[in-house]
Amino acid sequence: MNITVDVAYKSLNKFTEILCGDKVELLSTADSNIMILADGMGSGVKANILATLTSKILGTMYLNGATLEEIVETIVETLPVCQVRKVAYSTFSILQVFHNGDAYLVEFDNPGCIFIRDGVLQQIPQNYRIIKDKKINEYRFKVQKGDSLILMSDGTIHAGVGMLLNFGWTWKEIAEYAVKQSKVTISAARLANSISRACDELYMFRPGDDTTVACMRIIDRKVVHLMTGPAQKKEDDVKMVRDFMSGDAKTIVCGGTSATIVSRELNKKLKPTLDYFDPEIPPIAYIDGVDLVTEGVLTLNRVLTLLKRYANNDNISEDFFLELDKPNGASMVAKILIEECTEVNMYVGKAINAAYQNPNLPFDLGIRQNLVDQLKKTMADMGKKVQVVYY
Amino acid sequence: MTVTICIGSACHLKGSREIIKQLQELVAANHLEDKVDLNGAFCSGNCVNGVCVTIDGALHSLSPENTKEFFETEILGKL
Repeated sequence: MNITVDVAYKSLNKFTEILCGDKVELLSTADSNIMILADGMGSGVKANILATLTSKILGTMYLNGATLEEIVETIVETLPVCQVRKVAYSTFSILQVFHNGDAYLVEFDNPGCIFIRDGVLQQIPQNYRIIKDKKINEYRFKVQKGDSLILMSDGTIHAGVGMLLNFGWTWKEIAEYAVKQSKVTISAARLANSISRACDELYMFRPGDDTTVACMRIIDRKVVHLMTGPAQKKEDDVKMVRDFMSGDAKTIVCGGTSATIVSRELNKKLKPTLDYFDPEIPPIAYIDGVDLVTEGVLTLNRVLTLLKRYANNDNISEDFFLELDKPNGASMVAKILIEECTEVNMYVGKAINAAYQNPNLPFDLGIRQNLVDQLKKTMADMGKKVQVVYY
Repeated sequence: MTVTICIGSACHLKGSREIIKQLQELVAANHLEDKVDLNGAFCSGNCVNGVCVTIDGALHSLSPENTKEFFETEILGKL
Protein backbone atom coordinates (compact mmCIF):
# COMPACT_ATOMS: atom_id res chain seq x y z
CA MET A 1 0.00 0.00 0.00
CA ASN A 2 1.21 3.48 -0.77
CA ILE A 3 -0.59 5.88 1.48
CA THR A 4 0.14 9.12 3.22
CA VAL A 5 -1.77 11.57 5.35
CA ASP A 6 -3.43 14.95 5.14
CA VAL A 7 -3.03 16.60 8.53
CA ALA A 8 -4.37 19.83 9.97
CA TYR A 9 -5.33 21.21 13.34
CA LYS A 10 -7.16 24.13 14.84
CA SER A 11 -6.73 25.51 18.34
CA LEU A 12 -8.97 27.90 20.26
CA ASN A 13 -7.37 29.74 23.14
CA LYS A 14 -9.15 29.97 26.45
CA PHE A 15 -11.06 33.26 26.41
CA THR A 16 -8.75 36.24 27.12
CA GLU A 17 -5.57 34.13 26.87
CA ILE A 18 -2.98 35.07 24.26
CA LEU A 19 -1.13 31.76 24.34
CA CYS A 20 -2.62 28.34 23.84
CA GLY A 21 -2.02 25.64 26.43
CA ASP A 22 -2.38 22.90 23.81
CA LYS A 23 0.39 22.10 21.37
CA VAL A 24 0.37 20.05 18.19
CA GLU A 25 3.57 18.73 16.59
CA LEU A 26 3.55 17.34 13.06
CA LEU A 27 6.59 15.26 12.11
CA SER A 28 7.56 12.94 9.34
CA THR A 29 10.14 10.21 9.00
CA ALA A 30 11.24 8.50 5.81
CA ASP A 31 8.40 5.99 6.10
CA SER A 32 5.79 7.53 8.38
CA ASN A 33 3.92 10.62 9.58
CA ILE A 34 3.51 11.50 13.23
CA MET A 35 0.97 13.78 14.89
CA ILE A 36 1.38 14.67 18.55
CA LEU A 37 -1.09 16.61 20.69
CA ALA A 38 -0.10 17.75 24.18
CA ASP A 39 -2.38 19.61 26.60
CA GLY A 40 -0.55 21.42 29.41
CA MET A 41 -2.20 21.77 32.79
CA GLY A 42 -3.85 25.11 33.45
CA SER A 43 -3.83 27.84 30.84
CA GLY A 44 -1.75 30.70 29.51
CA VAL A 45 2.04 30.81 29.69
CA LYS A 46 2.45 27.92 32.11
CA ALA A 47 0.27 25.54 30.15
CA ASN A 48 1.90 26.63 26.93
CA ILE A 49 5.36 25.83 28.29
CA LEU A 50 4.26 22.44 29.65
CA ALA A 51 2.58 21.48 26.39
CA THR A 52 5.45 22.72 24.23
CA LEU A 53 8.05 20.88 26.30
CA THR A 54 6.00 17.71 26.30
CA SER A 55 5.33 17.70 22.58
CA LYS A 56 8.95 18.57 21.73
CA ILE A 57 10.39 15.91 24.03
CA LEU A 58 7.94 13.33 22.68
CA GLY A 59 8.74 14.23 19.10
CA THR A 60 12.50 14.45 19.41
CA MET A 61 12.95 11.29 21.47
CA TYR A 62 10.48 9.30 19.43
CA LEU A 63 12.19 10.28 16.18
CA ASN A 64 15.50 9.19 17.63
CA GLY A 65 14.20 5.75 18.51
CA ALA A 66 13.67 6.02 22.27
CA THR A 67 11.19 3.61 23.85
CA LEU A 68 7.88 4.80 25.25
CA GLU A 69 9.14 4.05 28.78
CA GLU A 70 12.19 6.27 28.31
CA ILE A 71 10.13 9.08 26.84
CA VAL A 72 7.49 9.10 29.56
CA GLU A 73 10.19 8.94 32.22
CA THR A 74 11.99 11.90 30.68
CA ILE A 75 8.82 13.96 30.54
CA VAL A 76 7.92 13.19 34.15
CA GLU A 77 11.42 14.10 35.33
CA THR A 78 11.78 17.22 33.17
CA LEU A 79 8.56 19.17 33.36
CA PRO A 80 8.61 22.11 35.76
CA VAL A 81 6.39 21.51 38.78
CA CYS A 82 3.25 23.63 39.03
CA GLN A 83 3.40 25.91 42.11
CA VAL A 84 -0.34 25.66 42.68
CA ARG A 85 -0.91 21.96 42.22
CA LYS A 86 2.59 20.69 43.06
CA VAL A 87 2.68 18.39 40.06
CA ALA A 88 4.09 18.54 36.60
CA TYR A 89 1.50 17.49 34.17
CA SER A 90 0.62 17.47 30.53
CA THR A 91 -1.64 14.97 28.80
CA PHE A 92 -0.68 13.76 25.35
CA SER A 93 -1.61 11.62 22.36
CA ILE A 94 0.75 10.31 19.68
CA LEU A 95 -0.47 8.96 16.36
CA GLN A 96 1.99 7.49 13.89
CA VAL A 97 0.93 6.23 10.46
CA PHE A 98 3.36 4.37 8.22
CA HIS A 99 3.23 4.47 4.43
CA ASN A 100 2.52 0.73 4.41
CA GLY A 101 -0.69 1.26 6.40
CA ASP A 102 0.54 0.30 9.89
CA ALA A 103 -0.60 2.67 12.60
CA TYR A 104 0.38 3.17 16.23
CA LEU A 105 -1.61 5.19 18.76
CA VAL A 106 -0.47 6.18 22.25
CA GLU A 107 -2.83 8.03 24.56
CA PHE A 108 -2.36 9.52 27.97
CA ASP A 109 -5.41 11.18 29.55
CA ASN A 110 -6.63 13.06 26.48
CA PRO A 111 -10.14 12.36 25.20
CA GLY A 112 -9.90 9.20 23.08
CA CYS A 113 -8.96 9.32 19.45
CA ILE A 114 -11.97 9.36 17.10
CA PHE A 115 -11.43 6.79 14.37
CA ILE A 116 -13.81 6.82 11.38
CA ARG A 117 -13.83 4.30 8.54
CA ASP A 118 -16.36 4.23 5.69
CA GLY A 119 -18.53 6.70 7.58
CA VAL A 120 -18.71 4.46 10.68
CA LEU A 121 -17.14 5.11 14.08
CA GLN A 122 -14.55 2.44 14.94
CA GLN A 123 -13.87 1.11 18.44
CA ILE A 124 -10.39 1.65 19.82
CA PRO A 125 -9.73 -1.13 22.33
CA GLN A 126 -8.34 -0.39 25.78
CA ASN A 127 -4.93 -1.84 26.34
CA TYR A 128 -3.39 -0.01 29.29
CA ARG A 129 0.19 -0.02 30.48
CA ILE A 130 1.45 1.69 33.59
CA ILE A 131 4.64 3.68 33.09
CA LYS A 132 5.88 5.87 35.96
CA ASP A 133 2.41 5.76 37.57
CA LYS A 134 0.85 6.95 34.34
CA LYS A 135 -1.87 4.87 32.76
CA ILE A 136 -1.14 4.83 29.06
CA ASN A 137 -3.23 3.29 26.29
CA GLU A 138 -1.50 1.73 23.30
CA TYR A 139 -3.09 0.51 20.11
CA ARG A 140 -1.52 -0.96 16.99
CA PHE A 141 -3.76 -1.25 13.95
CA LYS A 142 -4.00 -0.91 10.19
CA VAL A 143 -5.36 2.12 8.39
CA GLN A 144 -6.71 2.31 4.89
CA LYS A 145 -7.39 5.03 2.38
CA GLY A 146 -10.32 7.22 3.42
CA ASP A 147 -9.91 6.73 7.19
CA SER A 148 -10.14 9.79 9.41
CA LEU A 149 -8.46 10.02 12.81
CA ILE A 150 -9.06 12.88 15.20
CA LEU A 151 -7.10 13.80 18.33
CA MET A 152 -8.55 16.35 20.75
CA SER A 153 -7.75 18.21 23.93
CA ASP A 154 -10.39 18.11 26.68
CA GLY A 155 -11.54 21.64 25.82
CA THR A 156 -13.73 19.95 23.21
CA ILE A 157 -15.69 17.73 25.58
CA HIS A 158 -16.09 20.60 28.04
CA ALA A 159 -17.54 22.88 25.39
CA GLY A 160 -20.69 24.54 26.68
CA VAL A 161 -20.45 23.16 30.23
CA GLY A 162 -22.81 24.99 32.54
CA MET A 163 -23.83 27.35 29.78
CA LEU A 164 -25.58 25.86 26.78
CA LEU A 165 -25.10 22.28 27.95
CA ASN A 166 -25.26 20.79 31.44
CA PHE A 167 -22.34 18.42 31.07
CA GLY A 168 -20.52 19.71 28.02
CA TRP A 169 -20.36 18.18 24.59
CA THR A 170 -19.83 14.47 25.28
CA TRP A 171 -17.24 12.40 23.45
CA LYS A 172 -19.99 10.35 21.86
CA GLU A 173 -21.78 13.42 20.53
CA ILE A 174 -18.56 14.87 19.17
CA ALA A 175 -17.77 11.55 17.49
CA GLU A 176 -21.22 11.49 15.87
CA TYR A 177 -20.72 15.05 14.65
CA ALA A 178 -17.27 14.16 13.34
CA VAL A 179 -18.70 11.20 11.41
CA LYS A 180 -21.24 13.53 9.81
CA GLN A 181 -18.61 16.14 8.98
CA SER A 182 -16.17 13.56 7.62
CA LYS A 183 -18.73 12.76 4.94
CA VAL A 184 -19.17 16.35 3.76
CA THR A 185 -15.55 17.52 3.94
CA ILE A 186 -12.56 16.29 1.99
CA SER A 187 -9.50 17.90 3.55
CA ALA A 188 -8.26 17.52 7.12
CA ALA A 189 -8.24 21.31 7.41
CA ARG A 190 -11.96 21.61 6.76
CA LEU A 191 -12.79 18.71 9.12
CA ALA A 192 -10.71 20.20 11.96
CA ASN A 193 -12.25 23.60 11.31
CA SER A 194 -15.82 22.35 11.42
CA ILE A 195 -15.42 20.55 14.77
CA SER A 196 -13.49 23.44 16.27
CA ARG A 197 -16.12 25.87 15.03
CA ALA A 198 -18.88 23.81 16.70
CA CYS A 199 -16.95 23.92 20.00
CA ASP A 200 -16.54 27.67 19.69
CA GLU A 201 -20.27 28.09 19.17
CA LEU A 202 -21.09 25.91 22.18
CA TYR A 203 -18.74 28.10 24.22
CA MET A 204 -20.64 31.08 22.75
CA PHE A 205 -17.26 32.23 21.35
CA ARG A 206 -15.74 32.50 24.82
CA PRO A 207 -13.92 29.17 25.26
CA GLY A 208 -13.63 28.18 28.92
CA ASP A 209 -10.55 26.08 28.14
CA ASP A 210 -7.93 25.73 25.42
CA THR A 211 -9.59 23.64 22.75
CA THR A 212 -7.69 21.80 20.02
CA VAL A 213 -8.83 19.48 17.25
CA ALA A 214 -6.14 17.72 15.19
CA CYS A 215 -7.21 15.65 12.19
CA MET A 216 -5.41 13.12 10.09
CA ARG A 217 -6.99 11.71 6.94
CA ILE A 218 -5.48 8.79 5.11
CA ILE A 219 -5.03 9.56 1.43
CA ASP A 220 -3.07 8.46 -1.59
CA ARG A 221 0.35 10.01 -2.04
CA LYS A 222 0.23 12.99 -4.35
CA VAL A 223 3.65 14.05 -5.55
CA VAL A 224 4.41 17.44 -7.08
CA HIS A 225 7.63 18.27 -8.93
CA LEU A 226 8.50 21.96 -9.02
CA MET A 227 11.39 23.29 -11.09
CA THR A 228 12.75 26.80 -10.78
CA GLY A 229 15.92 28.50 -12.02
CA PRO A 230 18.42 27.42 -14.65
CA ALA A 231 21.24 25.06 -13.66
CA GLN A 232 24.58 26.59 -12.75
CA LYS A 233 26.30 24.53 -15.43
CA LYS A 234 24.51 24.52 -18.73
CA GLU A 235 25.42 20.86 -19.34
CA ASP A 236 23.27 19.90 -16.31
CA ASP A 237 20.09 21.15 -18.03
CA VAL A 238 19.42 17.72 -19.54
CA LYS A 239 19.73 15.92 -16.20
CA MET A 240 17.69 18.56 -14.39
CA VAL A 241 14.78 18.33 -16.84
CA ARG A 242 14.97 14.53 -16.85
CA ASP A 243 14.76 14.39 -13.04
CA PHE A 244 11.96 16.97 -13.06
CA MET A 245 9.87 14.98 -15.56
CA SER A 246 10.56 11.59 -13.94
CA GLY A 247 7.92 9.48 -12.21
CA ASP A 248 4.22 10.06 -11.93
CA ALA A 249 4.05 13.58 -10.52
CA LYS A 250 2.23 16.81 -11.16
CA THR A 251 4.75 19.16 -12.80
CA ILE A 252 5.18 22.90 -12.26
CA VAL A 253 7.82 25.15 -13.81
CA CYS A 254 8.33 28.56 -12.16
CA GLY A 255 10.61 30.76 -14.24
CA GLY A 256 10.89 32.09 -17.78
CA THR A 257 14.37 30.77 -18.45
CA SER A 258 13.54 27.45 -16.79
CA ALA A 259 10.46 27.17 -19.00
CA THR A 260 12.58 27.86 -22.07
CA ILE A 261 14.99 25.08 -21.03
CA VAL A 262 12.17 22.59 -20.39
CA SER A 263 10.56 23.47 -23.71
CA ARG A 264 13.90 22.95 -25.51
CA GLU A 265 14.72 19.64 -23.77
CA LEU A 266 11.22 18.21 -24.27
CA ASN A 267 11.08 19.59 -27.78
CA LYS A 268 7.65 21.06 -27.06
CA LYS A 269 6.62 24.59 -27.90
CA LEU A 270 6.48 27.17 -25.09
CA LYS A 271 3.31 29.22 -25.43
CA PRO A 272 3.16 32.29 -23.16
CA THR A 273 -0.18 34.09 -22.67
CA LEU A 274 -0.77 37.82 -22.30
CA ASP A 275 -3.58 37.71 -19.75
CA TYR A 276 -2.87 39.67 -16.59
CA PHE A 277 -5.40 38.45 -14.02
CA ASP A 278 -3.38 40.19 -11.33
CA PRO A 279 -1.28 43.27 -12.15
CA GLU A 280 1.59 42.06 -9.94
CA ILE A 281 1.82 38.53 -11.28
CA PRO A 282 3.11 37.98 -14.85
CA PRO A 283 0.93 35.80 -17.12
CA ILE A 284 1.28 32.01 -17.21
CA ALA A 285 2.43 29.97 -20.18
CA TYR A 286 1.80 26.49 -21.58
CA ILE A 287 4.08 23.59 -22.49
CA ASP A 288 2.54 20.29 -23.61
CA GLY A 289 3.24 17.66 -20.96
CA VAL A 290 3.82 20.15 -18.12
CA ASP A 291 0.90 20.87 -15.80
CA LEU A 292 1.67 24.52 -15.01
CA VAL A 293 4.20 27.09 -16.28
CA THR A 294 4.63 30.47 -14.57
CA GLU A 295 7.11 33.29 -14.19
CA GLY A 296 9.67 32.72 -11.43
CA VAL A 297 10.61 34.92 -8.51
CA LEU A 298 7.66 37.35 -8.42
CA THR A 299 5.20 34.46 -8.63
CA LEU A 300 7.02 32.36 -6.02
CA ASN A 301 7.14 35.34 -3.70
CA ARG A 302 3.33 35.53 -3.79
CA VAL A 303 3.03 31.73 -3.49
CA LEU A 304 5.09 31.93 -0.31
CA THR A 305 2.82 34.64 1.11
CA LEU A 306 -0.22 32.45 0.48
CA LEU A 307 1.38 29.30 1.91
CA LYS A 308 2.47 31.21 5.01
CA ARG A 309 -1.06 32.44 5.56
CA TYR A 310 -2.26 28.86 5.31
CA ALA A 311 0.49 27.40 7.50
CA ASN A 312 -0.22 30.07 10.09
CA ASN A 313 -3.59 28.46 10.54
CA ASP A 314 -5.15 31.49 12.23
CA ASN A 315 -6.58 33.56 9.43
CA ILE A 316 -7.94 30.99 7.03
CA SER A 317 -11.39 32.04 6.04
CA GLU A 318 -13.57 31.93 2.98
CA ASP A 319 -11.55 34.90 1.63
CA PHE A 320 -8.42 32.78 1.61
CA PHE A 321 -10.02 30.05 -0.49
CA LEU A 322 -11.44 32.67 -2.88
CA GLU A 323 -7.91 34.04 -3.33
CA LEU A 324 -6.69 30.50 -3.95
CA ASP A 325 -9.27 29.96 -6.70
CA LYS A 326 -8.09 32.99 -8.74
CA PRO A 327 -6.62 32.29 -12.19
CA ASN A 328 -3.25 34.04 -11.67
CA GLY A 329 -0.03 31.99 -11.69
CA ALA A 330 0.70 32.38 -7.99
CA SER A 331 -2.76 31.30 -6.78
CA MET A 332 -2.61 28.34 -9.17
CA VAL A 333 0.74 27.16 -7.81
CA ALA A 334 -0.36 27.68 -4.18
CA LYS A 335 -3.61 25.81 -4.75
CA ILE A 336 -1.78 22.77 -6.10
CA LEU A 337 0.74 22.83 -3.25
CA ILE A 338 -1.98 23.16 -0.59
CA GLU A 339 -4.78 20.97 -1.93
CA GLU A 340 -3.29 18.53 -4.42
CA CYS A 341 0.06 17.68 -2.91
CA THR A 342 1.35 15.47 -0.11
CA GLU A 343 5.00 15.69 -1.02
CA VAL A 344 6.97 18.07 -3.18
CA ASN A 345 10.34 17.66 -4.87
CA MET A 346 11.94 20.96 -5.84
CA TYR A 347 14.51 21.06 -8.63
CA VAL A 348 16.38 24.30 -8.13
CA GLY A 349 18.96 25.81 -10.47
CA LYS A 350 21.64 27.97 -8.91
CA ALA A 351 22.64 30.01 -11.96
CA ILE A 352 22.73 33.74 -11.31
CA ASN A 353 20.96 35.94 -13.83
CA ALA A 354 23.25 38.92 -14.43
CA ALA A 355 20.35 41.17 -15.34
CA TYR A 356 18.77 40.59 -11.93
CA GLN A 357 21.74 42.24 -10.27
CA ASN A 358 20.42 45.56 -11.54
CA PRO A 359 19.91 47.95 -8.58
CA ASN A 360 17.40 49.99 -10.61
CA LEU A 361 14.79 47.24 -10.39
CA PRO A 362 12.13 47.94 -7.76
CA PHE A 363 12.30 44.35 -6.44
CA ASP A 364 15.30 42.17 -5.65
CA LEU A 365 15.01 39.35 -8.15
CA GLY A 366 18.16 37.63 -6.84
CA ILE A 367 16.31 36.04 -3.95
CA ARG A 368 15.39 32.69 -5.48
CA GLN A 369 17.55 30.78 -3.03
CA ASN A 370 15.96 32.54 -0.09
CA LEU A 371 12.45 31.90 -1.45
CA VAL A 372 13.21 28.21 -1.90
CA ASP A 373 14.47 27.91 1.68
CA GLN A 374 11.34 29.59 3.01
CA LEU A 375 9.06 27.50 0.78
CA LYS A 376 10.74 24.37 2.06
CA LYS A 377 10.25 25.36 5.66
CA THR A 378 6.64 26.45 5.17
CA MET A 379 5.68 23.27 3.32
CA ALA A 380 7.29 21.21 6.10
CA ASP A 381 5.31 23.19 8.69
CA MET A 382 2.18 22.23 6.75
CA GLY A 383 3.12 18.59 7.34
CA LYS A 384 4.21 17.92 3.76
CA LYS A 385 7.32 16.07 2.79
CA VAL A 386 9.81 18.30 0.99
CA GLN A 387 12.95 17.47 -0.92
CA VAL A 388 15.20 19.99 -2.63
CA VAL A 389 17.76 19.10 -5.28
CA TYR A 390 20.21 21.75 -6.51
CA TYR A 391 21.83 21.93 -9.91
CA MET B 1 3.67 41.10 -38.56
CA THR B 2 4.50 39.32 -35.30
CA VAL B 3 5.26 41.47 -32.26
CA THR B 4 6.60 39.60 -29.24
CA ILE B 5 6.73 41.24 -25.82
CA CYS B 6 8.80 39.73 -22.99
CA ILE B 7 6.79 38.97 -19.87
CA GLY B 8 9.71 37.62 -17.83
CA SER B 9 10.48 38.82 -14.30
CA ALA B 10 12.80 41.71 -15.13
CA CYS B 11 10.71 43.02 -18.04
CA HIS B 12 7.59 42.67 -15.93
CA LEU B 13 9.13 45.00 -13.35
CA LYS B 14 10.04 47.44 -16.12
CA GLY B 15 6.44 47.65 -17.33
CA SER B 16 5.56 44.81 -19.74
CA ARG B 17 1.98 44.90 -18.58
CA GLU B 18 1.56 48.60 -19.35
CA ILE B 19 3.26 48.20 -22.75
CA ILE B 20 1.07 45.22 -23.67
CA LYS B 21 -2.03 47.16 -22.69
CA GLN B 22 -0.97 50.17 -24.78
CA LEU B 23 -0.10 48.05 -27.80
CA GLN B 24 -3.37 46.11 -27.57
CA GLU B 25 -5.30 49.38 -27.48
CA LEU B 26 -3.29 50.92 -30.33
CA VAL B 27 -3.75 47.84 -32.50
CA ALA B 28 -7.49 47.85 -31.81
CA ALA B 29 -7.83 51.61 -32.41
CA ASN B 30 -6.12 51.27 -35.79
CA HIS B 31 -8.09 48.12 -36.70
CA LEU B 32 -4.89 46.13 -37.26
CA GLU B 33 -5.98 42.91 -35.52
CA ASP B 34 -5.61 40.98 -38.78
CA LYS B 35 -2.18 42.37 -39.56
CA VAL B 36 -0.44 42.56 -36.19
CA ASP B 37 -0.09 39.49 -34.02
CA LEU B 38 0.78 40.32 -30.39
CA ASN B 39 2.54 37.53 -28.46
CA GLY B 40 4.17 36.99 -25.12
CA ALA B 41 7.61 35.49 -24.61
CA PHE B 42 9.79 34.63 -21.68
CA CYS B 43 13.24 36.06 -21.16
CA SER B 44 15.09 36.81 -24.39
CA GLY B 45 18.33 37.25 -22.46
CA ASN B 46 18.51 41.01 -22.86
CA CYS B 47 17.14 42.13 -19.53
CA VAL B 48 19.71 44.86 -18.90
CA ASN B 49 17.91 47.47 -21.01
CA GLY B 50 14.20 48.25 -21.29
CA VAL B 51 11.40 45.79 -21.93
CA CYS B 52 12.36 43.44 -24.78
CA VAL B 53 10.04 43.63 -27.77
CA THR B 54 10.83 41.67 -30.91
CA ILE B 55 9.36 42.47 -34.33
CA ASP B 56 9.94 39.74 -36.89
CA GLY B 57 13.21 38.81 -35.23
CA ALA B 58 14.56 42.34 -34.62
CA LEU B 59 15.03 43.22 -30.94
CA HIS B 60 13.86 46.58 -29.54
CA SER B 61 14.03 47.99 -26.06
CA LEU B 62 10.89 49.76 -24.84
CA SER B 63 9.51 51.66 -21.89
CA PRO B 64 5.84 52.55 -21.32
CA GLU B 65 6.73 56.18 -22.16
CA ASN B 66 8.03 55.53 -25.67
CA THR B 67 5.55 52.80 -26.62
CA LYS B 68 3.25 55.05 -28.63
CA GLU B 69 6.14 56.47 -30.63
CA PHE B 70 7.46 52.94 -31.18
CA PHE B 71 4.06 51.83 -32.44
CA GLU B 72 3.93 54.69 -34.94
CA THR B 73 7.42 54.27 -36.37
CA GLU B 74 8.13 50.55 -36.05
CA ILE B 75 4.66 49.04 -36.50
CA LEU B 76 2.47 51.53 -38.39
CA GLY B 77 5.44 52.84 -40.36
CA LYS B 78 6.56 49.42 -41.53
CA LEU B 79 3.28 47.77 -42.40
